[in-house]
Amino acid sequence: MTELQAGQAAAVPRIETQSQRTRYRDLLIALAAFVVLASLPMFFGSKALLDFVIRCSAFGLFATSLNLLVGYTGMISFGHGMFFGLGAYGFGLIMQRTGVPVPVAFVATLVITTVVATAIGAICVRLKEIYFAFVTLAFQMLIHSTILSWASLTGGDQGLRGGIKRPVFLGIDLSNHVHLYITSCALLVIGLLLMRQIAQSPFGYTLRMIRDNANRASFIGIDVWRAKLTIFVLAALFASTGGIIMALFVSGAYPEFAYWTISGEGIFINMLGGVTTFLGPMVGTVLLLTLNDTVTRLTEYYGIVLGIVILFFAVGLRKGLMDFVVEWFAQRRDGAGERAP
Amino acid sequence: MTRTRKPGVSRRATLAMMGAGAVTFATPWVARAQAKTIKIGMPTILSGRVAQLGTSSRNGVMLEVEKVNAAGGLAGRQIEMVIRDSKGQPQEAARVARELVNTDGCELLFDGEASSGSFAVHEVARDLGVLCIHTCSEASSLTADPKQHIPNAFRSVRQGIHDSIVGGSYAAAISKAKGLKKWATCSPDYAYGRDTTGEFTLYLKRFAPDVEIISESWPKLFQPDYTEVVTKILQAKPQALYSCLWGGDLTSYIDQANIYAMFSAMEVFAVNMADYTALTVVKNLPKGIHSGNRYIKTYPATAENAAWGDAYKAKYNEYPTNWSWQNATAVMLLSEAVKKANSTDGKKIADALRGLTIKCPFGADGTVTMRAEDQTLVGYAIGWGTTIPQEPYVPEVKAGDWKTIFELEAEWKKSKGYT
Repeated sequence: MTELQAGQAAAVPRIETQSQRTRYRDLLIALAAFVVLASLPMFFGSKALLDFVIRCSAFGLFATSLNLLVGYTGMISFGHGMFFGLGAYGFGLIMQRTGVPVPVAFVATLVITTVVATAIGAICVRLKEIYFAFVTLAFQMLIHSTILSWASLTGGDQGLRGGIKRPVFLGIDLSNHVHLYITSCALLVIGLLLMRQIAQSPFGYTLRMIRDNANRASFIGIDVWRAKLTIFVLAALFASTGGIIMALFVSGAYPEFAYWTISGEGIFINMLGGVTTFLGPMVGTVLLLTLNDTVTRLTEYYGIVLGIVILFFAVGLRKGLMDFVVEWFAQRRDGAGERAP
Repeated sequence: MTRTRKPGVSRRATLAMMGAGAVTFATPWVARAQAKTIKIGMPTILSGRVAQLGTSSRNGVMLEVEKVNAAGGLAGRQIEMVIRDSKGQPQEAARVARELVNTDGCELLFDGEASSGSFAVHEVARDLGVLCIHTCSEASSLTADPKQHIPNAFRSVRQGIHDSIVGGSYAAAISKAKGLKKWATCSPDYAYGRDTTGEFTLYLKRFAPDVEIISESWPKLFQPDYTEVVTKILQAKPQALYSCLWGGDLTSYIDQANIYAMFSAMEVFAVNMADYTALTVVKNLPKGIHSGNRYIKTYPATAENAAWGDAYKAKYNEYPTNWSWQNATAVMLLSEAVKKANSTDGKKIADALRGLTIKCPFGADGTVTMRAEDQTLVGYAIGWGTTIPQEPYVPEVKAGDWKTIFELEAEWKKSKGYT
């Protein structure tokens, strides 16, 4: 892959210098965002707010990683939730069964995810469009069924029970609510920063090219299959990290985490937030979770409210919120509609 | 190549939106001051396929809460129930439970979740230390497994293992009397179905050793069509069939099996039949299906139970479910425990609850007990009988023997490595 990237870097120097220029700014923004998030507990006593941000971290990483596939590469995965579930179960099982330190379990979970995602991806990314979507969905159901039927390991439909122990490491105690919160924020910010780097790198532009015209990409010498597989595995790693945060939040892992509804939620978050901007899915996550939390507080007819919102975005705006906002700004500024690539 | 969008716009927009969003939605997160009322939070399933679990649980709770409030409340404090939908998702159940305690100021939790959701709420109770009564989950391991045990969680619910012991001994007696040796099973393919069927056949064989299982079917949960299951069973020609299908699955199964006249070809034991949710929905309820009691107002055959069932029907225009009585029992237990502790402090209530015996319309002998050792409900009415197509649906119920249940339950716990 390095040869490929080097070749591209030479071919598109303009983008390379631009990305270098923005890299430091991205880093600064990430640092600022982390400082703001980390200082929240000092100003607000509300535990529900911290819970909210922890859940946003889990779903935000998941949805943004899905956007690497959907928005940047044009691969509509309906089975991305399997890696969310895999992360939750992998981490939960390692912590329950072996009692290794948290960072070791974290890395081990990512290693497992890499292996599984490579195997599944190698089969899936050969296919296009609806076939890709359905094969990923099929693999997701395979993993979900395995979790249900392998009851001796996974606890079947009752999930991993008995809580996940979190021994203290490097002075971080994840059973402490604030520590868990800060750790989740750190994982979110680092994850987003890494994904931003991937999206802005020459490799990221290769992905856009594959999305726009895979044949052309292949004619100029890009190994399309390998690039697709690489992003499939990378996206799986971030989804898995989201799953780990969720497992820590609920202190367990449940088969629902690997069910197709989680993938559906990811797609829906992307629809809400928009797929043409990097932060679209993050905005979508905040929107969906806020919507979920406020609406369930007020009524049990959550489905009908959500349905109306989907209709509004799909039929009314015909794009995600961030797409809409960005277009609106661009139109206001130069009088002509400009869209992100 | 299209022009790259100038960076900065999206970020500024994002920051502005995030700021606006934070201001708008931070308002409900500001913790409220504690009022004189005592709030009880309850995450449950109010939407989707098993919404009836949540609605009938809520009805059961509210019926009793109104009585307690009319009588002066819990140690002088009126109860305010805060009941929210978890949509049957464990991560939502955990979130809702945490929100109820942390934001809404609920001092106690009723966990109206089934299966995985109840374990998720259990972890919240472990984490927050708040008193929690599980009011719907029948999974035996929730209280039997010592790894699950926490001092602040109780269960006011029947258990799979109790049903299997009573069902096994009842079925064995009928087997011996009628010479039913060849059995088939047909249960939903998930932990509850597999475990309950396994335990039922274990006790059936223990009481009637010459019984043989000749066919097993495991339809998926919420499967719409049972034709292949029904024909498979008919081809195996068993003398008796056991099933722990429930709710809509059981009623569709019976409606479809009726077409093949299955119920005249064999004795059928369906543990979850005698619940009004199933009894009143089946189109042609066959006569003579053996069933465990879920909730039926004629068993226990006491004036208190009948009056409770009628009061519920009068208020909600439908009969109570198994979940209704379990949730009502939680309120009754709580109310008595608060009287005994003379306090609404969670720890003191928990101490009072352990080993508490109360008068209750759903008790086998008019009382139920919160067993101290594993903090779960015992002594509730449990029995088996046969159906008829009209009210009272199950005219005679043969009561299970709690002494036998305790003995075999202790043995089962040992075999599972729980004691």
